[in-house]
Amino acid sequence: MKGQLSADDLLRKLPPQVEAGEVYEVHSLETPVQFAAGTLESIKSVETAGRALRVIQQGRLGFATTSDLADDTLLLQSALGAAEFGGPAPFSFPDQQPPAAVQCFDAAVEQLSESEMIALGKEAIATIQAAYPNVQVFCDIHKVITDIRIRNTSGLAVESRRTHLSVEVAAQRTQEGDILFLGDEISSRQRKDVDIGPLTAYIVERLGQVERPARATPGAMPIVFHRNALAALFLPLMFGLNGRYVLQGASPLGDKLGQPACAPGFELIDDPRLDFAPSAAPYDDEGVPTCRKALIQGGVVQQFLYDLRTAGQAGTQSTGNGFKGGLFGGGWSTSPDIVPGTWIVPPGEKSLEQILTAFDEVLLVEDILGLGQGNTMAGEFSNNVALGFLVRRGEIVGRVKNTMIAGNVYALLRDNLIAVADQPQQVYGWLQIPAIALDGVSVAC
Amino acid sequence: MRDMILPALERSRADYTDIRVERRWRTVVAYEGPELDTLSTSTEVGGIVRCLVGGGWGVAVFNSLDRLPERVQDAERIARLAAAEVEEPITLAAVAPVQDEVRVELARDPRQVPLQEKQSLIEAYNKILLGHSDKIVTTQTYYNDTFSEVWFANSEGALILEERPDVQLLFGPTAREGDNVQNPYESTGGAAGFDVALGHEALAEKAARRAVELLQARPAKGGVYTVVLDNQLTGVFIHEAFGHLCEADFLAKNPEMRDILRLGRVFGPPALNVLDEGYVAKSRGNYKYDDEGTPRRQAYLIRNGVLEGFLHSRETAGRMGMVPTGNARAISYRFEPIVRMRNTYVGQGNVPFEEMIRDIDYGIYACGAVGGNTALEQFTFSADHAYEIVDGQVGGMLRDVVLAGNIFETLRNIEAIGDDMQVINSAGGCGKGGQMGLPVTDGGPHLRIRDVTVGGRAQ
Repeated sequence: MKGQLSADDLLRKLPPQVEAGEVYEVHSLETPVQFAAGTLESIKSVETAGRALRVIQQGRLGFATTSDLADDTLLLQSALGAAEFGGPAPFSFPDQQPPAAVQCFDAAVEQLSESEMIALGKEAIATIQAAYPNVQVFCDIHKVITDIRIRNTSGLAVESRRTHLSVEVAAQRTQEGDILFLGDEISSRQRKDVDIGPLTAYIVERLGQVERPARATPGAMPIVFHRNALAALFLPLMFGLNGRYVLQGASPLGDKLGQPACAPGFELIDDPRLDFAPSAAPYDDEGVPTCRKALIQGGVVQQFLYDLRTAGQAGTQSTGNGFKGGLFGGGWSTSPDIVPGTWIVPPGEKSLEQILTAFDEVLLVEDILGLGQGNTMAGEFSNNVALGFLVRRGEIVGRVKNTMIAGNVYALLRDNLIAVADQPQQVYGWLQIPAIALDGVSVAC
Repeated sequence: MRDMILPALERSRADYTDIRVERRWRTVVAYEGPELDTLSTSTEVGGIVRCLVGGGWGVAVFNSLDRLPERVQDAERIARLAAAEVEEPITLAAVAPVQDEVRVELARDPRQVPLQEKQSLIEAYNKILLGHSDKIVTTQTYYNDTFSEVWFANSEGALILEERPDVQLLFGPTAREGDNVQNPYESTGGAAGFDVALGHEALAEKAARRAVELLQARPAKGGVYTVVLDNQLTGVFIHEAFGHLCEADFLAKNPEMRDILRLGRVFGPPALNVLDEGYVAKSRGNYKYDDEGTPRRQAYLIRNGVLEGFLHSRETAGRMGMVPTGNARAISYRFEPIVRMRNTYVGQGNVPFEEMIRDIDYGIYACGAVGGNTALEQFTFSADHAYEIVDGQVGGMLRDVVLAGNIFETLRNIEAIGDDMQVINSAGGCGKGGQMGLPVTDGGPHLRIRDVTVGGRAQ
């Protein structure tokens, strides 16, 4: 067996021509419990151990990873080899800063047993099937405990232990000519936030409203985006506010810093320090403390998101948004990339009901198909409505199907923003955003 | 590896146990704009144990091979927990255990190609994209090679080593004029060596040319149209809309769904054939054994318009009393195998393209695929670019064409099947159940479909 070096020893072993180095280590234990069609499908125990090494040599960056922790020689050689032809590294690894004050660990998640997770799933299934015995219920419960350690040659040495618990519940009703799949999820780093009551109550409520079909009138009409459908609006902004796409000249917001881009009342905040939020972290994966910042305030673009490298290229500071796994996951074996924290839109005054009642006719869209498949960079979205209702003066007329909605997020948020509701909704563990009403969204059916 | 896996298997007291251990080597070279964005190499080792006890699964995943004996015990322990909850015990359909070693012969093994050669190649492609026009503001030029050595053994006596190479190459230029930003892409790949990445200068040029052309394209007007799909979009359509529906894990526990998807039921015109198979020369969906040790076999999903079969794992085949098709696949050692597609395509038809569009007064010719998404009967997929069809002729370019519909109606609405069948290797992968980026291919001939909903601006 080859010997295993500690992270500090590995850094000490870097040859003299290496200007700087960083070791990132992860160890995690995951327990996914999966129910399909009302019954337990599988229980899994996933242990992950990995190490990533970044080196800067003559201003060039080298990166390598391994899950074979015994083989530090190969890891070192690979990183040094990559640095020979690597891209420029116009940054230094940070020295130690005080961590952002944020709660990321809950012993109640760590102690949650497999039997308790099974009980949670059974409860969700029983609640829905008590109301609708003819639907099939699917439930995924996922618990994660992660230890992250970062060491670098600037003297930084940070470690962080984080918990994460998520529950995803979906109901499927199958009948000739109409197959319905309706679900949502909740996640947090804290056990007590993961309350399946509201989640199952929502599914039961909606199951009672999907029977009657309705058809929207093709053309432009107001739409209230709610729950998962909100991702259609904020995914383009995730690209548009990403410092890298700004630097490359691809972001439509790139030349709008300090200028109005949205309706005057619109505000968007990036907050990786929201206690127990699924993406909460005291440091990013480069050891930079995270921070809360307004991205758009009073409709004016205030800030783009940066990691160390992009900040170096753009001549600015990292915003503490350098996380592993990129925009769409990928895990510890990828380089840090610009990833948002929790996105918050401050709640408005009116309730969702009040907003819906104000329209003669409006489409309430709660889930969509085809997220991110349009020209997202340009702000275009075009999605099939997976769950949506035609609402007249606050009354649900029926469910719409075979209906496409389309528009440009930048134009809609600038010219057609009608209202933001008063209750934030967690979406994909990433957004904390209330329902948003926009006028003049294109509908085809 | 065998000396580590076999004793661990023997220690398990579960009704059935399998162990899959994987070693993978990977290189990524990515340019964004003029900058080399990523140059990374990684090695990964890890494994997964599955134990079936009393009809319930327990699964354990690990990176450290030293931990294999403990992880077998852990899988067995949680399988017993699961067994206590099981209502319909899982039984696995029989598969004769195989002992085999599948080594690949590569003209150039990517592991032996110097990093600098890969970097120079991708840099040269990236320069083609950047140099095409000053309207190209940035690029994404991406190369990935993965070489996996997968060991599989089960308590029935199977012991298989299979090598699986995979190369992906993607060109994504971004053209911009004011607020108009266009980023189409072209890609290729293969279950082959480094050679697959060579000689694609024309493909890079094509991607760059289209990015600039799309700046002048008109956005599609939302509505319901007769649509002609090109080979690639036919593939994405059949994969997304129908292939996923035929994955038997959606059906095994759903009697209503099995009633809708009755074998022998007519789903399309008599000329419609849909197939999924484990080997099409050099294709990214290839392998000899699936991740349960089942040898690949061809699966007809639709033959002459009639539903003929499904895609199975041993579990779904066991539950439905059918024969495993070798479709149990996992994206890596971190996941248990689930029912997945391989190389999925619409079979050859007999209508030439010109004839297909001749009597269309106004329609849309949709080309290339950005992606697709499905929720059982509902599907949506995005064309990379499109053209108007006016009075039987291909006309001006359109952008932002997203198609949607109900699969059962859409299959019935197929009006013509082309004579130009092609299976396409792209850099894209398939995602399901949290397992994203599985190498697959799809394809088919041109298809003409009536009454397809196209999303787009109302004005």
